[in-house]
Amino acid sequence: MLIEGTYLDGKTSKRHNARLEVNNDHKITAIHLTEQQTILSFKHQFYVVESRLGNTPREIIFDDEQLFVCDNHDEIDKLITWYTNSPSHKHSWLYNLENNSKLIYISTIAIVILLYGIVVHGIPSTAKLMAHNVPYFTSTKIFSSLDILDETVFEPSTLPVKRQQDIRALVAPYLSSYQSLQPRLEFRSGMKANALALPNGVIVFTDDFINLIQTDDEIIAVLFHELGHLTQKHMTQRMIQDAMLTIMVVFITGDVETFDLVTGLPTLLLDLTYSREFETQADTYALTLLNKHDIPLQSFVDAMQNLENYYLKENEGKAHSAMNDFFSTHPKISERILLVEQF
Amino acid sequence: MKLPSEIPAEHNSNIMTPENRSLGFEFRGDGMEYFKIWIVNILLTIVTLGIYSAWAKVRNNRYFYSNLYLENDNFRYLADPISILKGRLIAVAALIGYYILSLFLPIVAGFLALVLVFSIPYFINQSMGFNHRMSSYKNIQFRFKGSYGQAFMVIYVWPILGILTLGILYPLALLKANEYFVRNSAYGTSKFDFNATYKDYGMIFLTAIGISIAVGFPIALIAYFVPAFTVVSSLLYIVIYFAVIIYIVVSFTNIFYASLSLIEHKFEASLTIAGTAKVILINLFLTMITLGLYLPVAKVRMTKYICSCLIMHTSGSLDNFSAAEKENISALGEEFGQIFSFA
Repeated sequence: MLIEGTYLDGKTSKRHNARLEVNNDHKITAIHLTEQQTILSFKHQFYVVESRLGNTPREIIFDDEQLFVCDNHDEIDKLITWYTNSPSHKHSWLYNLENNSKLIYISTIAIVILLYGIVVHGIPSTAKLMAHNVPYFTSTKIFSSLDILDETVFEPSTLPVKRQQDIRALVAPYLSSYQSLQPRLEFRSGMKANALALPNGVIVFTDDFINLIQTDDEIIAVLFHELGHLTQKHMTQRMIQDAMLTIMVVFITGDVETFDLVTGLPTLLLDLTYSREFETQADTYALTLLNKHDIPLQSFVDAMQNLENYYLKENEGKAHSAMNDFFSTHPKISERILLVEQF
Repeated sequence: MKLPSEIPAEHNSNIMTPENRSLGFEFRGDGMEYFKIWIVNILLTIVTLGIYSAWAKVRNNRYFYSNLYLENDNFRYLADPISILKGRLIAVAALIGYYILSLFLPIVAGFLALVLVFSIPYFINQSMGFNHRMSSYKNIQFRFKGSYGQAFMVIYVWPILGILTLGILYPLALLKANEYFVRNSAYGTSKFDFNATYKDYGMIFLTAIGISIAVGFPIALIAYFVPAFTVVSSLLYIVIYFAVIIYIVVSFTNIFYASLSLIEHKFEASLTIAGTAKVILINLFLTMITLGLYLPVAKVRMTKYICSCLIMHTSGSLDNFSAAEKENISALGEEFGQIFSFA
C-alpha cells in the first residue's frame, strides 16, 4: 500500500511530494517521488518513527537524515507495530496518556495536591534533615558572612563600652549552655533596629535595637529568638530550600520561557512564606526558653511592641497596605503577640 | 539507494525566476492540547523524581517547533532526551555542590563563582550551538558558531560600557548582542545577517524615556498638590510602567525582525502595543487565578500572537538551502545555562 506524504532529503530544503510504499508485513520498502517519478528503495534499511504528539505531523527518519512526513497516523502506527516487534503503545503510550481525559482530570488535581505537599511539607522537612546533618565546619571563617555585612551595610557600634559590657555579662550565662553553636554577641550600627543570627553563631544586635529596648528581659527574649534560629539552623535550611525551589520551578515550568513575573513571583512568595514560618518557630522556641528560665512572657510582647512602635515612627506617613504583609520576611507583630497569648 | 545529488533540471528554473512572496508564520498549536501534554509531563516528572524532565523538555519543544509552519512546512526539534538528561544531571550536581560549598567553604565558592563568570560566554555559545543544531526547517538544521572573545565582549564589556556611560552606550550594547547572535547563526550553510543601527535602538529608549517623563511628570505634579490623588497616581504609575515596558519589548521585536535577513530574504514583525498588552494581561490574569495551571495555555496564546505578526518576504524559492556539515555539541551548556539561569 502507499501512504501520501512529503519527502525531504536532508541535503537541500526542497520538498518532494512522495508516497511511502509499505508491504503487507507493514514494513517500508520504498519511497516514490511523484514529481520526479523516481523510486528510492528502502528495503532492509533502518528507520525511526517519531512518537505521536498532539496534532503535529508524523515523521519517519531514515539514514543520512532523510525524512518522510505525513498525517496518516493510523497507518504509521501499524508500521511501528510490525517493525519494532513490540506493541504499538510502546511508542504512543504517551499520546494515549495525553488524550485520556479522565487521567488528565485526575492528574491535574493530584498535581495541585502533590505540589502543595511538596512545597509545604516535602521541601521544608528534607531541607531540615539536610541542614541538621551536614557537617559543621568551624573553619575560622576567614570570609564569614559577618565580614561581608561589615563591608556592605554595617558600621561600628556607637554604644558606650560600658553598655556593651553590661549586655555581654547579662547574656553570658544563657549562652554558656549553647557551646556547640559557638554563639558570639556583636554590636553594630548602620541598620535599623534589628537582631540577627548568622549561621556561624554570631548574633548581632544593632544600636537602634538596643536603644529601643527598655528592660533586660526584653534583650533576653530577643536573644532566645535568635538562639532559636541558630539551634534550628534556619539560615542553612532556607538556603537549601531556595535551591530546591529553584530546581523544582525550572523542572516544572520546563522550558516555558515566560516572563519572569509568572514564575518568579510565586518563588519569591514561597521563600517569604518559609521565612515567616522560621520566625514563628524561633518565636515558639524563645517562649519555651523564657518559661524555662522563669522570665515573664510579657517581656517578649514588650520587645515586639517596642519594635512595632519604632517601625511605625520610621515609616510615618506611609500607608501600611495588606500588600506589605504578603511581601514580608516576618509575620505581623500582632500575629506574633497572639502567639504568646496562645502559648 | 540515495537520492541523486544533482537537482533535476526542472528545479533549476525556480532559481532563474525569483518569485517575491510574503509568507506568514503560523502557529497551529492548541492551548488545551498543550495543557494535556504539559500536565502529563509534570506528572511523569514528579513520579520519576525529576528524571523525566529531560523527556518532558523534548516533548514540550517538539510541540512548539512542530506546530510552527512557514509555507506549509513545519519546524522540528531534534534533541535526544538522553543527552539533555546527561547535561541536566551534571548541571544540577554542580548547582548543589556550589550551594554546599558556599555554605561551608565560602572562599572556594567565591573562586568557583569567578570561574563561572568566565565560563558563561563559553556555555552560552555551547547552548546556542546546541539549540540551533537541534532546530530544523524543511529538514535543514540551523547552526550557530560564535567565538569566546566576541561572546565575552557582548556579555560583559559592552553592557559595562553601557553602565559606565550612564546608559548612553546601552542601546549599542543591545545592538552588539543581537548582531553577535544573528550574524553567527545560519540556516544550513546560509548565514543570517543583521543591519540595525545604533540610532534605531537609541530612538526606542529615547521615546520610552520621553513618554515616561511626559506622562509621569504631570501626574507627579497633581499628586503633589492634591494629596488625595496619591492612591490614583500610584496606580497610574504601574500602568505607565507596564505600558512603557510593552512599548520597549514590541519595538525591539519589530526592529529585530525588520533588521534580520537570510541572504536575499527579509523578515517583518508587526506586533502592536495594544495586541501584546491584551495577550499579556489575559495571560497574567488567568495564570494568577488558576494558580499557574493556565501557564501552558498562556504560552500557546503568546506564541500564536507573535507568529501571527511575523512575515517572511522571500525573494526566490526557499528550496535551495543546503545542509551544513555534521557536528556534535553536548547539551551541557544549554542545561548549565538553564539551571544557573543565565542563558
